[in-house]
Amino acid sequence: MDNISPSELEVAKLIVETLNLEDTSAEEIESQAPLFRDGLGLDSIDALELSLGIKQQYGIQLKADDENITEIFSSLASLTRFIQDNR
Amino acid sequence: MSKDWKAHQERGSNIMLHVIRWVALHLGRGPARSLLYPITLYFLLTASSQRRASREFLSLALNRPANLRDVARHIHTFASTILDRVYMMTDRYDCFDLTINNHELIAELLDQNKGCVLLGSHLGSFEVLRITAVVRRELPVKILMYPQHNEMMVRILSELNPSLSENIIPLGQPDTLIRAKESAASGSIIGMLGDRVADSGKTVTCQFFDKPTTFSQGPILFASLLKVPVFLFFGLYKGGNRYEIHIEPFADQIPLTRGSREKDIQEWTQRYAARLEHFARSAPYNWFNFYDYWNVHQRPVEANPQDGVPG
Repeated sequence: MDNISPSELEVAKLIVETLNLEDTSAEEIESQAPLFRDGLGLDSIDALELSLGIKQQYGIQLKADDENITEIFSSLASLTRFIQDNR
Repeated sequence: MSKDWKAHQERGSNIMLHVIRWVALHLGRGPARSLLYPITLYFLLTASSQRRASREFLSLALNRPANLRDVARHIHTFASTILDRVYMMTDRYDCFDLTINNHELIAELLDQNKGCVLLGSHLGSFEVLRITAVVRRELPVKILMYPQHNEMMVRILSELNPSLSENIIPLGQPDTLIRAKESAASGSIIGMLGDRVADSGKTVTCQFFDKPTTFSQGPILFASLLKVPVFLFFGLYKGGNRYEIHIEPFADQIPLTRGSREKDIQEWTQRYAARLEHFARSAPYNWFNFYDYWNVHQRPVEANPQDGVPG
């Protein structure tokens, strides 16, 4: 397990709570591991719910057209960076 | 239904697609249609797995053993719609005689700038929706599909009409649903085809032609999350230059209850399957799933559903 920053832990908690991940705790999500498919195994439904969670908590609207969502959701680190850049 | 389709159908229809496109654009619809006979004969003779799939499906849908003539008609119908697709993509709508049932249902929503889901299938032509654009208005349609599975088809048709790829929301991406939801919220029609199963994703078993059949949970699940009205869409080819569109109200919204979600999805998918079967029986030669739909040839012999009526 790699060390994750406090802000990453905060986002990890949001992921776990929003998606009701029963088998995973926020501390277990690795900073660089992929969130989709091989990594945490999220799918596009999770992405939609997560985008709603992010909007609710941070007031950030993920737009499909102007952002590379695949890139943003590629890891906990990149998602956290996106949220920090936009809040 | 089986996952066999990716391997077989695309490969088979690629050659046909190229030939048909060339003829259609250079010779016109009349001469192109006369060429459909040798093309049909060629596929009848060479495409053995498609031939077997066709025969098996038609025997079910026609309630009698299908013969080679039926299979030829099946292939010819498919080839006809591929040819017409070339004309639809190049906006030459004047060639067609189109009947639309319930067009006003969707027109009303669009007037209010509200989006909806059109749940279609590989029965007939989804592309025929484009003709309605000329009849009434430009329809803002986005289609959810796996472009990598239809790569050749998409590429060839995109060359004819570059706006096609803009109208596709690729499935299987993290942002698939975010895109779809955005489009639906801004008044687009979201098209989904519910009769094929992809590699990934959950499935559900429904009765279809009196057989337990695997369907993808995706379309119902997605439609539910988009929270817009859902309509069924069947664009049937009726021979000659005639097309018949059937639009049916399916749900104002699809509510899935936590706790009974799987059961809800099964029930909604069963409703879709029942209507699909209804239209497939009414237009059996429009069934464009030329592969081992029920996976019967990968099962042990004793499980072959053809041996008797299940239940």
